Amino acid sequence: MIAFSNTVKRYPSGFEALKGVTIEIATGEMVAVSGHSGAGKSTLLRLAAGIERASQGSVMVNGQNVGQLKEAGLAVLRRNLGLVFQDHKLLFDRNAYENVALPLAIAAFPRAEVGKRVRAALDKVGLLNRERSNPVALSGGEQQRLCIARAIVNRPSILIADEPTGNLDQDYAATILDLFKSFNQVGVTVLLSTHDDAGITRLNCRRVTLDQGRLAP
Amino acid sequence: MNAWLTTHIQACERALRRLRAQPLGSLLSVLVIGIAITLPLGLYTLFANVAAVASRVNTDPNINVYLALNASDVEVRELEKRLRQLANISRVQFVSRESALADMKRVANLADLLAGLESNPLPHAFTLRPSSADPALLATLRSEIAALPKVEHVVMDFAWAQKLKRFATFAERLVLLLGIILAATVVFVTGNTIRLQMLTQKDEIEVSQLIGATRRFIRRPFLYFGALQGLLAGGVAVAAVSAVTLWAGNEVQALMVSYGSDYALNSPSPALALVVIALSTLLGWSGSFISVSMYLRRPAN
Repeated sequence: MIAFSNTVKRYPSGFEALKGVTIEIATGEMVAVSGHSGAGKSTLLRLAAGIERASQGSVMVNGQNVGQLKEAGLAVLRRNLGLVFQDHKLLFDRNAYENVALPLAIAAFPRAEVGKRVRAALDKVGLLNRERSNPVALSGGEQQRLCIARAIVNRPSILIADEPTGNLDQDYAATILDLFKSFNQVGVTVLLSTHDDAGITRLNCRRVTLDQGRLAP
Repeated sequence: MNAWLTTHIQACERALRRLRAQPLGSLLSVLVIGIAITLPLGLYTLFANVAAVASRVNTDPNINVYLALNASDVEVRELEKRLRQLANISRVQFVSRESALADMKRVANLADLLAGLESNPLPHAFTLRPSSADPALLATLRSEIAALPKVEHVVMDFAWAQKLKRFATFAERLVLLLGIILAATVVFVTGNTIRLQMLTQKDEIEVSQLIGATRRFIRRPFLYFGALQGLLAGGVAVAAVSAVTLWAGNEVQALMVSYGSDYALNSPSPALALVVIALSTLLGWSGSFISVSMYLRRPAN
């Protein structure tokens, strides 16, 4: 479960990205966060992933107060989350297989298990035949699928995706959203941000709209 | 335990991969660090050899008292009696002019030349061992002895040996100081190499942190990398100093033979080589640790 309780995020410049947001996302639920640019969508997701800390209020993920976690605790939390970024954050000096294997290396999985899991994840996103390809050789949609494969390889209970379809054309976006839907159908909690209304309709999930850092009615 | 070992093996593999990925850069770094270690190791080896030579030289204070050529046996015995009565003299040894000549013929290979002499030109002598090396006391002793009858010369020939001993002590401290300065250089050079490595791999570090890597996980391959550089540099330094001592060894030995010594130049011993390599590995590791810690201490993403 993910719970934001009266969460405020204030940056050193004084700008408040979130102004007292309260949201509860149940285990196994899929929630799409929508809103204009600058509404606070990415900040909300970054707080859930422990990439940023709330200035006020709390963010609970799987029963843990993210704001109070120390470095090691935060690392363990992130290993149990699948993070998907709009800019993919892939490593271009490694091939697709090695990119997906990175979370498993961090979690010190044995080599044989890494091979099985990486191939299963690549298969899931339809990139098994590209495992030796460098991400540079992949299209934008394929790069996003690779990023998703890296996010799911650890079999996380929560997937957090920041604008996963932001840079993709409609066909690719639909493929990506279908992937998230399939993960949610097997019990994975999904929290994603998007400003694609058609996409949210396709996902058929709860929608939370942010407007200038507040929940829109 | 298994997971711990796996992470270390993986970190070591990544460090080796990075080393292989930039062969020229890695080689240059290893050479720079190696040269920095070679300097104090070379000086240490040099001074250790000088100290070994110095230890063969008798540096205990001795006073040689040369008598007048016309001193009779009675006068010699009387002088010996008075020398033994002197305070601050622990030993008195008589060296007859005959035994002095025999020694000279034997040691200096001057038998042919000395055989041509009509008479023995050497005087009787006494070798005295003062009970103290205090310069003021020795100066007083010298005056007292010089004033005794039939005493021609009083020679105190240990000053140079004492200087040699002091030089060896000074050299030890110089090597230590230089070692500390160059150890700092090794840490700095390794740290800088690692900092550059981290800058080129900042994306990997950022992504790794985002997907759950601890600082320890990120730090580990860099530590192995620094330690590997130190290890190789230590090997380079030991090899360089050993090569130089081998190269110069024959010449030094020939020189020592001309001074009547069988001393041979020593290369760094296996134990010293191991210590140097272990120390340089540790320095490489330390440089990496400082650099990585400073990098990771910056505000998180």
